[in-house]
Formats: sequence, C-alpha cells, structure tokens
Amino acid sequence: MIAWALIAGGGAVTFALRAAFVLPGSRLRLPRGVEAILRYAPAAVLMAIIAPDMFLVSDALALSAHNPRLVGGLVGFTVAAATRDMVLPIALGMLALTLARLYA
Amino acid sequence: MRASHATAFREGAVAAAPQLLGVVPWGLVTGVAMSSAGLSVPQAVAMGLLIFAGAAQLAVLPLFVAQAPLWLMLLTVGVVNLRYVIYSAGLAPHFQHLPHGWRALLSYVTVDGTFALFVGRYPPGDRTPDRHWFFLGGSLAMWCTWQASSWAGIYAGALIPKSWSLEFAGTLGLIALLRPVLFDRAALWGSLAAAAAALAAAGLPLKLGLLVGIAAGTATGLAFAFHSRRASPG
Repeated sequence: MIAWALIAGGGAVTFALRAAFVLPGSRLRLPRGVEAILRYAPAAVLMAIIAPDMFLVSDALALSAHNPRLVGGLVGFTVAAATRDMVLPIALGMLALTLARLYA
Repeated sequence: MRASHATAFREGAVAAAPQLLGVVPWGLVTGVAMSSAGLSVPQAVAMGLLIFAGAAQLAVLPLFVAQAPLWLMLLTVGVVNLRYVIYSAGLAPHFQHLPHGWRALLSYVTVDGTFALFVGRYPPGDRTPDRHWFFLGGSLAMWCTWQASSWAGIYAGALIPKSWSLEFAGTLGLIALLRPVLFDRAALWGSLAAAAAALAAAGLPLKLGLLVGIAAGTATGLAFAFHSRRASPG
C-alpha cells in the first residue's frame, strides 16, 4: 500500500518539478538564492543516503572489513574518483562487496 | 506530422543516440534495485513509468526498505529531482507558445541528457519553429531505452537471491552519480557535512537523520559558496 503511495506521490512530485516553469509558460527567472539552494541540495541528499548505507549496521558504526557494504562502497568511491566512469564503480563495488561477504 | 516535424524529430533521436548506450546500465541497475528492495513487478514498472528519474528512484529505495514515513520518501524524491526546476526554467521560453498538452508531455520526458543537448543546440532566444519536435525525438529515444532496460533489470532482480545484496548496486549508482553534483569545493564540503550529520543523527526515529543530513549539507555548501565568492577578487 505504501509502495503505491510512494509511486503515485513520487510521480506527482517529479512531474511538478519538471513542469514548474514549462507548464505555466512563465517568463519568470529563478532568484539567485533559490538557484544556489537547488545546486547544493542534491550533493547533500545523495551523501546523506550513501553514508548511513555504507557505515552503519543496525544503526551502529561498523568500520571493519567485516562490513561488506563499507568495503564495496569504498571501492566504488575510489573507482568513481579515478575513472570518471559511471558503470565501473557499480561493477567493481559489487565485486568487492561479494568478496568481502564471502571471505572477510 | 509535417515533413519538417519528422525531420526535427529524427534529428533529436539521432543526437541522443550516443547517450543511449550509457542509459542501459542505469536502467538495469535501477530495475534490479527496485526488485531487490521488495517492489513487485507491476509496482517497479509503474515506478519507472510515473517517476522516470533513475537517481531519485535509487535514492528512495533504501528509505523504502527501512520503512521510512511516506512524506520523507517523497521529500527525498523531490530534493534529488530539484535540478529539474532549473531545467524547466531554461526550457519554458522555448515551449511557451505550445498547447498545454504539449507542454505537459515535454515536461514529463525531460531528462538530463536531452536538456543538455537541447540548450547546446538552441541558445536562449532561438526561434527555430520545430525545436520541440527535436526535443521530443531525443527524449523519446531516451525514454524507450530507459524503460526497456529497467524492465530487463526488474525481471533479472526478481530472479536473483536476496543474499547477494544487489540492492547495494543502487547505492553504488548514487556514488557514481555524485561526480556531476560535486561541481565545486563548496559542494564537496557540503556533501561531507551531510554524511557526518546523517551518521551522527542516524539514531533518530523514522530515518529523520536524512533530513538533518540534507539541511546540514545544503547549509554548509551555501556557506562555502558565499564565503568563496566574497573572498575571490573582483
């Protein structure tokens, strides 16, 4: 039930953002302050989701090789920083997670 | 559709073609992540059709798994998709002469790649009559490719055992997506502050630590941007 609410609500939210200026046909321009917030919020939300998913196991810090998500995430960050590739971080990160899960 | 419309439509699709190959792995990962997060096949397909925004879908799935409240999940979708407001502001002057149905359709299909193509080809003030057909051609090529690869991922994800932790592929996808949003030093500091705050506040109920992370990260990014603008000469 919550899944369908998320799907319908998320669709409505996303459409509203995409249509914000196109649908009313407005010639308004975004104020600079608002545009600055729109530019810096996405980096914040992405990291605020990634960090707990990597570093926490049952809401407690898990900083060891026995946390496969930490291992996979660190490999993902390293590959993303080194290659600019969009797919390699996912592939090698999952490989590292799997190796850590099986052998660490 | 007049001949000139068909030409512009085809030009848009051809211009988007080099990006299509890059869309496929994203669709696959998003599809796999949706299945692994516990969405049924119809739910996952509906999510791709209605939201049609890979980063937002990937971002909301860990919250869905953690049973976060609906408003927080919708807020997350909104914040990840905030860039579309900037795109919408850029596109509005080009499409304001069109009927509402057209404007709604073009809004729905807007994605990063075709926006970049479009503004590169038609600068502000350009009056080329068929430019909305160009936009539609490129966007529909992206839409079809993304939906099809997402469906392949949904079915693959439904077959793969839960113990493989494939939903983490979604988080790795977000890591790969960080690069374009970390466009300056202020954004980098903002993201680090967001990570620290989200971890520190992880004990809060209802995944509210996410909200703390967003607020701390955005404020830090803005503070650094403001400071460096004042510090820079001129």
